[in-house]
Amino acid sequence: MEVLLSIKNVSKYFGGLAANKDLSFDIEKGEIIGLIGPNGSGKTTLINVITGNYAADQGSIRFKGHEIVGLKPYTINRLGIARTYQVVQPFVGMSVRENVVAGVLFGRDGKGRKMKAAWEKADEVLELCHMQEKKNEMVENLTIADVKRLEIAKAMATDPDLLLLDEGMAGLNPKEIDDALELITQINKMGITLLVVEHVMKAVMSISQRVVVLHQGLLMAIGTPETIVRDEQVIKAYLGEKYTLRQKNQGEAKRL
Amino acid sequence: MIEKRKNILLFGILILALVFFPFLATNYWIRLFTGIFMYGTLAQATNILMGFSGLVPFGNVVFFGIGAYFTGITMLSLGFPFFIALILGGSVCFVFAFVVGHPVLKLKGHYFAIATMGISEAIKQIATNVKITRGGMGLNLPLVPLEVNASYLFFYFLMFSAMILVTIATFWISKNRVGYALRAIMSNEDGAKSIGINTPHYKVLAWAISAFFTGLAGGIFAYWYGYIDPPSVFDIGISVRFIIMILLGGAGTIIGPLLGAFFIELLSETVWSQFLFIHLGVLGAIIVLVVIFMPKGFVWFYRQKFSLEALMENVRKGKL
Repeated sequence: MEVLLSIKNVSKYFGGLAANKDLSFDIEKGEIIGLIGPNGSGKTTLINVITGNYAADQGSIRFKGHEIVGLKPYTINRLGIARTYQVVQPFVGMSVRENVVAGVLFGRDGKGRKMKAAWEKADEVLELCHMQEKKNEMVENLTIADVKRLEIAKAMATDPDLLLLDEGMAGLNPKEIDDALELITQINKMGITLLVVEHVMKAVMSISQRVVVLHQGLLMAIGTPETIVRDEQVIKAYLGEKYTLRQKNQGEAKRL
Repeated sequence: MIEKRKNILLFGILILALVFFPFLATNYWIRLFTGIFMYGTLAQATNILMGFSGLVPFGNVVFFGIGAYFTGITMLSLGFPFFIALILGGSVCFVFAFVVGHPVLKLKGHYFAIATMGISEAIKQIATNVKITRGGMGLNLPLVPLEVNASYLFFYFLMFSAMILVTIATFWISKNRVGYALRAIMSNEDGAKSIGINTPHYKVLAWAISAFFTGLAGGIFAYWYGYIDPPSVFDIGISVRFIIMILLGGAGTIIGPLLGAFFIELLSETVWSQFLFIHLGVLGAIIVLVVIFMPKGFVWFYRQKFSLEALMENVRKGKL
């Protein structure tokens, strides 16, 4: 497998607190990789470090072989890394379609685009994200599920190779979570690699090919979802005994 | 679509009316309207930065002064023809804003507003103390080689063209890349960076464009008045006036700043002629009332279909 993003010995400190400490792992092209861990374990910090919102204090991050530590967020975005925010950041005062067209205009290859071509591309992205019928709504009138979907649409509009989703499903109901999972799978099928930060275990375990577990800024475990749910350390630190028990029971029930 | 056509038609009629107006009006009205167009140009130019990106450049009058002085000095010392001096004056403002913008636009909100005022005061002090501007003595520009009535018309149409030009530029910006970048920045700067918007670049560009047109207005003003000195062209009061016009008309709209300019200038002229001693007080009171009832400006009020309920809602929100 080809490595798309390579994180090597990355650390990020806030004062004396190490939010990320000596993290190293690779993201392979075409996979969906889950990023889990308790609150404060450094998941969002890691995303911010990858996208250049924070500068890493140590280490190197290589995207398609190019060093990206120290680059500005907009440069990194244009190289092909898009993200969503845990606290949604839509452009208030603009319609859904205008939000998306902004992504089209300034993302990768956005520079040479004429307005007309940009609107067409924006409509394509809206179609992909099933937001066509809401395209003329102002973002302040959307439900939280739609705003989260719009965040993904905005990120997709920049034409990324790697999409970082920061808790895109928090606050959604089960039906909306299923819709979001479907969208993620669909995006992945288009050949886009995803890093998914999520607290909804059912969701992240079902779509990820591999899962990374962070704990207090350190890399605790990395592996397939099956190995992660059996990892003693991870169970103790994050998943909890009950979760594993329930998983086990469900598994046995299925076999019967 | 029909709405759009109606707007364009209305705009066309308005422009035609203003083109024929000076041939019917007295010189007093022509002069008054030239002043309105000047403020319309200034308000619209500042609207490019303020209306779209939300940054309030209180010291934007500095470009008015630089434009005026640059035009004056190049005409007097280098003997440049007026139009070349004027375009050069605007371009110098563009470059100046571009250079100063990179550090200054890193500041946010009030800090940016204060920094621009600082720049304005600093340039005013320089203009007062260097030889080339003749300091506090002021600068007498060459006279317009036209007879009186023709020169009135000349400046009327010159200011009018400047206003139309900056309005077209604003309209174009609002529909294109720069406009979307600025609106995204106003709403959410971090979010804007994350979709690939080079936020410092677009803020600086918007300020530089606004500086160019402000400088043009300054250059025309200098030639029109024929005499400039630092206190009159670097007057923060001018900034305050056109910022009030923007707020009153509706920041971020195309027609709003122009409406604001017409309203304030006509109002202050009427008030001034009726209440000679307390005209500033009366003007202030009217502005306070307008801000209480429609803080988002005339254009907003129009979009609410002039509903009285919407006006009262603002009063309630203001907890008055």
